[in-house]
Amino acid sequence: MNDQVPVVGEERPETCRAPDAEERSLWRRVMDQFADHCRSRSLFVLHYCTGCGAVELPPTITSRFDMERVGVSPMVTPRQADLLLITGYLSVKTLKRVILSYEQMQSPKYVLGFGSCTINGGMYWNSYATVKRLDQYIPVDGFIAGCMPRPEAVQQVILDLMRRIDSGQANAWRDYYLDYDTYLGRQAALFGEEWHTPTDVVAEARHYGYFGPGTTGVHTARLKNYTEWALNQIPELLPERGRNEKART
Amino acid sequence: MTQPKNLPSSLDIILHEIPGVRMTPKEGRRIRVDSSPDSLPALLELLKGRMGFMHLSAISCVDWPETDEFELIYHVWSYEQKSLVSAHVSISRDPGRFVSVYDIHTPAGFYERDIHEMFGVVFVGSPNLRKFILTSWDGPPPMLKSFDTLGYVNETYGWVDYQPDWLRDVEGKGGGIES
Amino acid sequence: MRPENYSPVQHPPSHEYELYFGPNHPGIEGNYAIRVRLNGDVIQEAIADGGYLHRGFEKLMEQRLWIQNIALVPRICVPDPVPMEEAYARAVEALGGLEVPERAQWIRVMMLEISRICSHLFTFGGNAATIGLYTNMFWGISMRDLFLDLFEEITGARIYHMYITPGGVRRDLPEGVLDRLEATLDEMERRTPEFEDLFFDNAVVIKRARGTGVISLRDALAWGVTGPNLRGSGLPSDVRRDDPYLVYPDLEFDIPTEVEGDALARMRVRKAEVVQSIRILRQVIERLRGIEGPIRCPLPNPLAWNIPAGEAYTRVESSKGEVGFFAVSDGGPKPYRVHVRGPSQMHAVQVLERVLKGGRLEDVAQIMFSLDACPPEVDR
Repeated sequence: MNDQVPVVGEERPETCRAPDAEERSLWRRVMDQFADHCRSRSLFVLHYCTGCGAVELPPTITSRFDMERVGVSPMVTPRQADLLLITGYLSVKTLKRVILSYEQMQSPKYVLGFGSCTINGGMYWNSYATVKRLDQYIPVDGFIAGCMPRPEAVQQVILDLMRRIDSGQANAWRDYYLDYDTYLGRQAALFGEEWHTPTDVVAEARHYGYFGPGTTGVHTARLKNYTEWALNQIPELLPERGRNEKART
Repeated sequence: MTQPKNLPSSLDIILHEIPGVRMTPKEGRRIRVDSSPDSLPALLELLKGRMGFMHLSAISCVDWPETDEFELIYHVWSYEQKSLVSAHVSISRDPGRFVSVYDIHTPAGFYERDIHEMFGVVFVGSPNLRKFILTSWDGPPPMLKSFDTLGYVNETYGWVDYQPDWLRDVEGKGGGIES
Repeated sequence: MRPENYSPVQHPPSHEYELYFGPNHPGIEGNYAIRVRLNGDVIQEAIADGGYLHRGFEKLMEQRLWIQNIALVPRICVPDPVPMEEAYARAVEALGGLEVPERAQWIRVMMLEISRICSHLFTFGGNAATIGLYTNMFWGISMRDLFLDLFEEITGARIYHMYITPGGVRRDLPEGVLDRLEATLDEMERRTPEFEDLFFDNAVVIKRARGTGVISLRDALAWGVTGPNLRGSGLPSDVRRDDPYLVYPDLEFDIPTEVEGDALARMRVRKAEVVQSIRILRQVIERLRGIEGPIRCPLPNPLAWNIPAGEAYTRVESSKGEVGFFAVSDGGPKPYRVHVRGPSQMHAVQVLERVLKGGRLEDVAQIMFSLDACPPEVDR
């Protein structure tokens, strides 16, 4: 059990990675496919209206277009949600909250970008307040072009995502673990060098088995200071940490 | 109640009491009043107290770098007279400081906060000039004419021109989106 | 890893605590946040926190041509975009001295009133959802979709129409759309009693909404409240009547008011306004059948369209309150400055902060929806 739970600040060998599909046993592969199949049919959408695209979500979910008939339903908390819809442009202030929400979601998690403004800025290409490319900051599984996308387009892209989850192709969330250093660097370039989140993404990467050479680097080295600092602030945590270390030895 | 025909003249009587005020009636229930900065609070107070101009519709700010001035426009509406007075005031850009009218019109609190954030004008006596929209912004006030938006966007968001190889090929043959 | 989560400050035992309400919260309207300080579940202080939807519209408009800005303005208020187009178009017309043909004026009134009905249906559904009645959400949104179909037929878009241009409208009405509008209005009238039973006669609604979020008329006037919220406090004031534009003086309609000033009164004003909008639309349909003619005055080359120098302040009654556009031209092809005054700039910040004080935590979402606050309008 202790091997599964990530411990803050713990050093692990960097060879920790998930076995490829070919290396897995037949039983494991069948179970994975079954899990993917089930997962694709019960998507919970995080209820976060980040931009104007959210005005087309009520029609999509309520009686007329009715996404619930394919198993898509809104969910109010990030931790229980599978799918994050970025409904339109993101101001810098919102992007921070989006990243916090995204990191709280459990993997596997999926992101869809609504509208032209998430692709390249759209009509706000020269606005000083909105970010231009969403996929520079979090990995994105699919985009819908247009301003604003119609409910049919939303349905289409969600059905497409379901098909890709079912066949095991919707793997953008792994990129966040594999290239966390790059993502963190881009986020910090926008939010300032002080930027860090409460989620220990590096430990999560180890936990899910997607700790790659790009997970840590110059930018994640900065996070150690905050971990050390935070641990020193709470004396009660320190004996806990010592016990963990003892258990390992 | 329709607009009284004699509204400009009754306004005139009030405006005579304040020095440095000039009135220009315009079309469609709009009256432009130019005021000196010192007499603006008195003007708004008199308009509110005697003529019922009690709804502050908006405060607009315009940046005029040529004359080195900020122009503040107070739009007040009267539910009784059914007309809108736009009081224009010009203040110097440096130091960009003016008196708050929050104690006359409560809505001014939000507009002054907004103008402070977007133009950097300081309103003395305003209850709350904390940042509202651009809480993590450390650049110059963005609505100033001197603020270079495109330069800021290029620098901050890494705007890259879309120039893939296939487009270059097309342009080499005389086509493309620029032609 | 976030230091503030591990801050070792020892708080004295107290019933007071702070709560961050939004932006990622199902009860909040749009992308907006309120920081509330609570004692038990009674709100001591509420601080509005906006800016999540800021796009810098006023700056963007200074960098685009007068004609390009038609595409920008509807995006300022998402649920009710048409009044924004109308206010901008009228500001340009006032500056450039353009005359709108009569047929275009009637078509514009039609668009404005359909948009008002759509927005009120949206608020109706959302407001009911904040007190746990989800059927209204489904009914309101599906009813609104019938009107969105009409928008789509007339303009080609469901939400952002970009239909009202300076000097008229973009194109003429399609064949037979007035009949279909009439049929939709009949359907709406047929369903109105059902909405009444479901919401306004509902014991849950009456218990939750009566006496919640009260704004007295005196406060409403002092705090700059406009639109249905002001009429819910008892003042029969409407920009369509007081500061008339387009052909509103030729139309017969009432200005519904309520005197209580609470959340229920504001919703009842909205319900009565939908009835008045249907009444206006029926008159418009009748008049439009008899008016032929151009739908737009001739415009110069839009790429080299210099508007004479000057300034104009235009007001339009939207479903949320008074929309104001202040446009300044220096004689060039682009606006020198455009200032947007949205009604929610008052309702969602200062008024909301004051009304929430002394209220209870479970009423925050309901009060915000009953004020019909529209966050994109605040942030622009």
